[in-house]
Amino acid sequence: MSVVLRVILIVCSMIAFFLCIKKIKQAKLKVENSVTWMVGAILLICMSIFFNAVEWVSTKLGFQAPVNFVFLVVIGFLLIETFIDNIRISQLNEKIKDLNHYIALSEHEKKAKEEKKA
Amino acid sequence: MQKVLIIIPAYNEALNIKKTVEDVIKNTKYDYIVINDCSKDDTKKVCEENNFNFLSLPINYGLTSGVQLGMKYAKKNGYDIAIQFDGDGQHEAKYLKDLVKEIEKNKSDIAIGSRFVTEKKPVTMRMLGSNIITGTIKLTTGKTIKDPTSGMRAYNKEAIDMFVNNASLTPEPDTIVYMLKKKMKVGEVQVEMKDREFGESYLKPIKAIEYMINMFFSIVFIRALTRKNK
Repeated sequence: MSVVLRVILIVCSMIAFFLCIKKIKQAKLKVENSVTWMVGAILLICMSIFFNAVEWVSTKLGFQAPVNFVFLVVIGFLLIETFIDNIRISQLNEKIKDLNHYIALSEHEKKAKEEKKA
Repeated sequence: MQKVLIIIPAYNEALNIKKTVEDVIKNTKYDYIVINDCSKDDTKKVCEENNFNFLSLPINYGLTSGVQLGMKYAKKNGYDIAIQFDGDGQHEAKYLKDLVKEIEKNKSDIAIGSRFVTEKKPVTMRMLGSNIITGTIKLTTGKTIKDPTSGMRAYNKEAIDMFVNNASLTPEPDTIVYMLKKKMKVGEVQVEMKDREFGESYLKPIKAIEYMINMFFSIVFIRALTRKNK
């Protein structure tokens, strides 16, 4: 792994890490949603610092270049993250739909009561 | 005598809804509920002016959500049978009692208002799609459903509960597969359907292919693997 790539990885990870903390402080991101990002950032930093270990693992696994291994880890991480996001979106969708139904039903009930009074 | 509710989902059906509801009131003794899925046109106004019994959703959420809301209403008010009935004037209310009879007399759990029980299927692109779905259902469940895409279906109490508790159930053919796998009895009753007069269908030609792919994947990979006790 080249020194340039390692420096880029470290710098970007640091930025991501502090961005997470900033957004949490601004209450724009929930702690439980940010943990995965911070863990990912720490993982990248570790991989840049201990590149010997990464090189050892990647040759053992048969990668042509250690950098490919790094990319694969990052892609895998992103895939998992998007999948989790997809599940969250579906859950939110479901909650909004239930609210939608609840509003329609309670409005109908209110109208029926008013008509009874009148 | 069982309590029957007609569920009429309507999205931008201001031109059709009045006729549809009047047809239901005139030709049946059953209760009805119009589900206005946040229409952009005057559907809500038409319902208010004519004093129809209707539910109005604040956000547009699609046909599946609309039908589920109707099922929730049916369960809340203790109905025994809920019938899904299109608001676009394609369905005729005079056939509704045949669907109810199928559930009451023949002890079916689901009764489909089918165009092709005694009639033959015409050869069109639309019917090719219908045939593919019929074949897929036959392959996965062993049962023949002659008109799986029909939007006129009656459900008994057990099926109503399923719709209320399982939001993934669509008012489409894949749900029939799900219910067949749950060992429910599906009956078909001959009905006639008209072509729509105004407005656009939920199923535009461009969306037809997407619909077919969705149905195929849902039936083969999800619904076909349904177990009875799970």
